[in-house]
Amino acid sequence: MTALLRYQSALLLRSQRWLPPFLLYAVFLAVGVQGGQPLLDSLGYTAAFLLPVAAWLVRICVTNEPPAARTVVAAAVGPGRAHLACVLVALTTAVVLGAAATVTVTLISDPVGTDHDQRVPVPQAAGAGLLAVLTCALLGVAVGALTAWPLLRSPGRAVPALLLAAPAALVVTGSPARAAVSDLVGGSRTATVHAPILPMAAAVLLTAVATAVACALTSRRSP
Amino acid sequence: MPREVRLEGVGRRYGVRGPWVFRDVDLNPAPAALTRVDGPNGTGKSTLLRLLRLLRLLRLLRLLARVDAPTEGRVTGTPRTACVPGRFPAALPFTALGYLTHLGAVHGLSRTAAERAAGDWLDRFGATAHAHTPMSRLSKGSSQKVAVAQALLAEPELLILDEAWTGLDTDARAELDRAVAERTAAGSAVVFVDHDPRRLAGRTDAEYTVRDGTLRRRTAAPAAAPDGPRVIIEVHGPTAPLPPEILRLATAAEETADRSHRLTAPASHSDVLLRALLTARPPWHVVSVRQDGGRRP
Repeated sequence: MTALLRYQSALLLRSQRWLPPFLLYAVFLAVGVQGGQPLLDSLGYTAAFLLPVAAWLVRICVTNEPPAARTVVAAAVGPGRAHLACVLVALTTAVVLGAAATVTVTLISDPVGTDHDQRVPVPQAAGAGLLAVLTCALLGVAVGALTAWPLLRSPGRAVPALLLAAPAALVVTGSPARAAVSDLVGGSRTATVHAPILPMAAAVLLTAVATAVACALTSRRSP
Repeated sequence: MPREVRLEGVGRRYGVRGPWVFRDVDLNPAPAALTRVDGPNGTGKSTLLRLLRLLRLLRLLRLLARVDAPTEGRVTGTPRTACVPGRFPAALPFTALGYLTHLGAVHGLSRTAAERAAGDWLDRFGATAHAHTPMSRLSKGSSQKVAVAQALLAEPELLILDEAWTGLDTDARAELDRAVAERTAAGSAVVFVDHDPRRLAGRTDAEYTVRDGTLRRRTAAPAAAPDGPRVIIEVHGPTAPLPPEILRLATAAEETADRSHRLTAPASHSDVLLRALLTARPPWHVVSVRQDGGRRP
């Protein structure tokens, strides 16, 4: 599995297809987050913006190989594992991206509540921000896995589904991503830090199920 | 743990209500055997090879298969598998050597072993000059060499060749024939599909035809005398008769004098045969090796 992950990571890096989602995320953050704003609010944005980016990264990773190359890898390790490696590489990239953004945002933001008066403890806030980033990355990966090959094969359906599902996963009631982001933004009003542990556990579960479904379906649709 | 693959009563269709591509297929590519599958275009040869490729997942999916039934039947065995697709225009952001090293590691080799094997196989197929060429700039034939090297470098237990010879030059085709002989001699099962009926003729252990949605074993057709160059090897050795694995590799063997034998083998199998003779216990002394003209294809 290590070799497979290394191969998929090298493929993503060298193909340079990671660049558009990375730039999109950078633009999102440049618009939504400015230095000196309340810390928890900014961390909330950082996590929320990561969700569509993670979904896009999954789409890139699972469509990165030509069918013939996918075939030979699937023969060696089984199509399910080959697909799992793609999804895991996308998740790792999203988490790395989100973690770097969280660190940057923590450094440039003002550690105060929304009222710019009450102090917010920085280490706890950063920890809660990282948890929220993880939650959103996981949920984005779930969205990406469910809206890409092998579930939706034609780009004509997959891309609109991705574009609809990613914002929906952020706003729909009961979504772990929404809960994690509201934990941060809600806490900012009272200048208290709520670590979104429960939403993250839910996101882990959801993503595991979504990925398992996608990997299991690769058998029927492998080239 | 049996590494041998066995398909029993396997069927495959696309979609729950789609027509069956084939049903009731029994296939058991035995270790150390060369199996040929042929049939007209579009009868499901490649789909069958695909089933062999997807073995691991099929086992896992037996439960799911009961629900949506695109696949039926029993599959046993999980050999280390490698396949060569017929078309490999893989525009990947790697050099040929870089890609092969990655794939060798995916097949389970260490990084250093993978890199060494990748270099060796590129050399065997005469593609060393392209080792550092980006994959996207390789010609069709050179890409196919990479596809073949990828499958061979980790010494798979089940090798699937789906028109793997297409696009290779004459030398590389002969090298692939030799590599197939080596794999079967080392105990791997090799299954191949090729449009050329003369491909490895007379060297296959089992031949199947896909017809009317099922797979039939061809037994009637007598093994055609292999075309192409042959090699005659004269050996002198122990009093014991020639071991059966050596007789299996040779197409003809005659005792010319006491303890002396003359063996005839297809040129593609001469290396394997010589290796078997020299490593047999007790080893045989090779007196002479010469080429027999034969009919060139």
